[in-house]
Amino acid sequence: MLESLQHLISGFGIATTVANLLYCLLGAIAGTLVGILPGLGPIAGIALLIPVTFGLSPTSAIIMLAGIYYGAMYGGSTTSILLNVPGETASVITCIDGYRMAQKGRAGPALAICAIGSFIAGTLAIFGMVFLAPPLADAALAFGPAEYFSLMVCGFIVLSNVTGSSLLKSLMIAVVGLIIGTVGLDPVTGDYRFTFDSTYLLSGIEFVAVAIGLFGIAEVLSNVDQPLSNLEQKVIVPRFRDLYPSLQDLKTSIGAILRGAGIGFGIGLVPGPAPVIATYASYMVEKKVSDHPEAFGKGAIEGVAGPESANNAACQSAFIPLFVLGIPFAPPTAILLGALMIHGVVPGPMMISEHPDVFWGVIASMYIGNFILLLLNLPFVPFFANILRIPKKILLPIIMLFCITGMFTVNNSIDDIWLMILCGVLGFVMRKWAYEAAPLLLALVLGPKLEVAFRQSLMLSHGSFATFVERPFSLLFLVATLIFLLVPAFGWAIRRWARRRA
Amino acid sequence: MKRDELIGCGIVFLFGGMTAVLSLQMPIGTFRMAGAGLFPLWLGILLMILSALFGLNLLFGKRAAPKTGEPVAPTPANAKLVLLFLGVTVVSMLCLRFLGYPAFCFLIMLLLLRILGIRRPVFLLGLSLVTAAGAYLLFVRFLKIPLPKGLIGL
Repeated sequence: MLESLQHLISGFGIATTVANLLYCLLGAIAGTLVGILPGLGPIAGIALLIPVTFGLSPTSAIIMLAGIYYGAMYGGSTTSILLNVPGETASVITCIDGYRMAQKGRAGPALAICAIGSFIAGTLAIFGMVFLAPPLADAALAFGPAEYFSLMVCGFIVLSNVTGSSLLKSLMIAVVGLIIGTVGLDPVTGDYRFTFDSTYLLSGIEFVAVAIGLFGIAEVLSNVDQPLSNLEQKVIVPRFRDLYPSLQDLKTSIGAILRGAGIGFGIGLVPGPAPVIATYASYMVEKKVSDHPEAFGKGAIEGVAGPESANNAACQSAFIPLFVLGIPFAPPTAILLGALMIHGVVPGPMMISEHPDVFWGVIASMYIGNFILLLLNLPFVPFFANILRIPKKILLPIIMLFCITGMFTVNNSIDDIWLMILCGVLGFVMRKWAYEAAPLLLALVLGPKLEVAFRQSLMLSHGSFATFVERPFSLLFLVATLIFLLVPAFGWAIRRWARRRA
Repeated sequence: MKRDELIGCGIVFLFGGMTAVLSLQMPIGTFRMAGAGLFPLWLGILLMILSALFGLNLLFGKRAAPKTGEPVAPTPANAKLVLLFLGVTVVSMLCLRFLGYPAFCFLIMLLLLRILGIRRPVFLLGLSLVTAAGAYLLFVRFLKIPLPKGLIGL
């Protein structure tokens, strides 16, 4: 434990260099803007800014990109409270009580509690990371390809189970992502696969193009698809002097913040869209433990404090599986995995010992980033709120232009832009038919790892599939997968049985 | 919606079938030493099975209530506008190498703003010009990204 604290202190030394502080600030501001602006989410935001980090050291690059991720969570709540439009899916629940508070003239305290709650939860989550990550990394050293394969399969099933309208649909999309991930050179034998004699496809499908297409262009097209009258928005702008919460607000919220932090931290460690699930779970818990549950939905401050704290804690603890196992459990961390690889850092159990500067520097920067966001989000709320006044009909073309330019900068390739537009159309059609894009992106990033783990396992076991059930951790993950697959079936059977009995 | 979903399901089924067929043209190998085609072959077959199950569920099963967090499908209010928006983007993209980056920015902004309903000519031209100049300064001058120079040579 003492060793971890020493490492954390050295991490602060790295994170507090002038350059890294600047990149942390830039990431936090970019993240807040990404969270606020319609048409851009953290996934597209991170993907768009990856090229900007090419000239930076891996530590500075990841500090900036991580800042975008947790900054977007802060920004997303601003639109939820002031506009009743969630900037991110994780902010949907904040709309319920946050917007009611804004309508009652309490937008300031709602925004302030979001910022304070997110800061406290983020800080607690970082301390959780410091003490949990090193022992987890030691445990993960015992993992072989069979364990990694089973863990990734478990991740896909859980993610598919909790996103979208149907498990089958999400699984289909994940398999499509895995197939797209096989395009290019075979990672084991070096044979060409699905390249159709195209030199462009030899290096595989550019995941940044897919990410910006599915989450950026598709969002722009969906906004264009709304009736023109909806492209205008009315926003409540709080006055600076109304921004600070009363002592009573703080007293009422502190329990919700601490509970939200705990819930979020735990959920961030398991596969799935952690911040989204964490906010729902926290809201339910707050409603249950509250002395006045009838106030929820009518502007209860705990309904804002709990979920916002939970989403921030979840988004921070989601870095643990990414850094320690090298396996992202959600699309934003999948994009960060890609960014780490681009910068020559291979996340996994060895990351802490091989790249301590990146690991501890990024963790320390998260604490600093949370503090920056607290400073940014309180006094600058009127400024961010005014950004929301820019009509969408002006914002959407600008976002489109940024997507095109950002995509070009990755490989200086116009073919990448065509691929991005194609993925944008695909993402738009998927939204129309209620297909979730998250499993596709995650499968695309994890596909090659999954295949290599699968083939290595079979090679090591001389072709025997028993290896997946003979190894205890692998068996554990497969049993968990089975449970996640069977839970909906059991639920259906119990409901059917109950209906018959009735 | 059900018809649309069935069409989508059919497309996914065909995609799985195509993957499986193309995989068979690659070395399959053995389980001990899997070839390049084995993994995609299995994925293709798995996709066909999943899409067939989903299709059957659509045809014969009851629709489940949507889960929380499910994206809400937008209403098809502006299909023409979406096509126009995409068309303008594609046409502008085709002109990127020829026109060069700053002129491309100006053109795409002008056209997209216009089709989204910005009508005042001075505002339209001014905003397109300012955005193009800003993008040029940020990406070409400040970030030194080698974007196409085109005829203008900027």
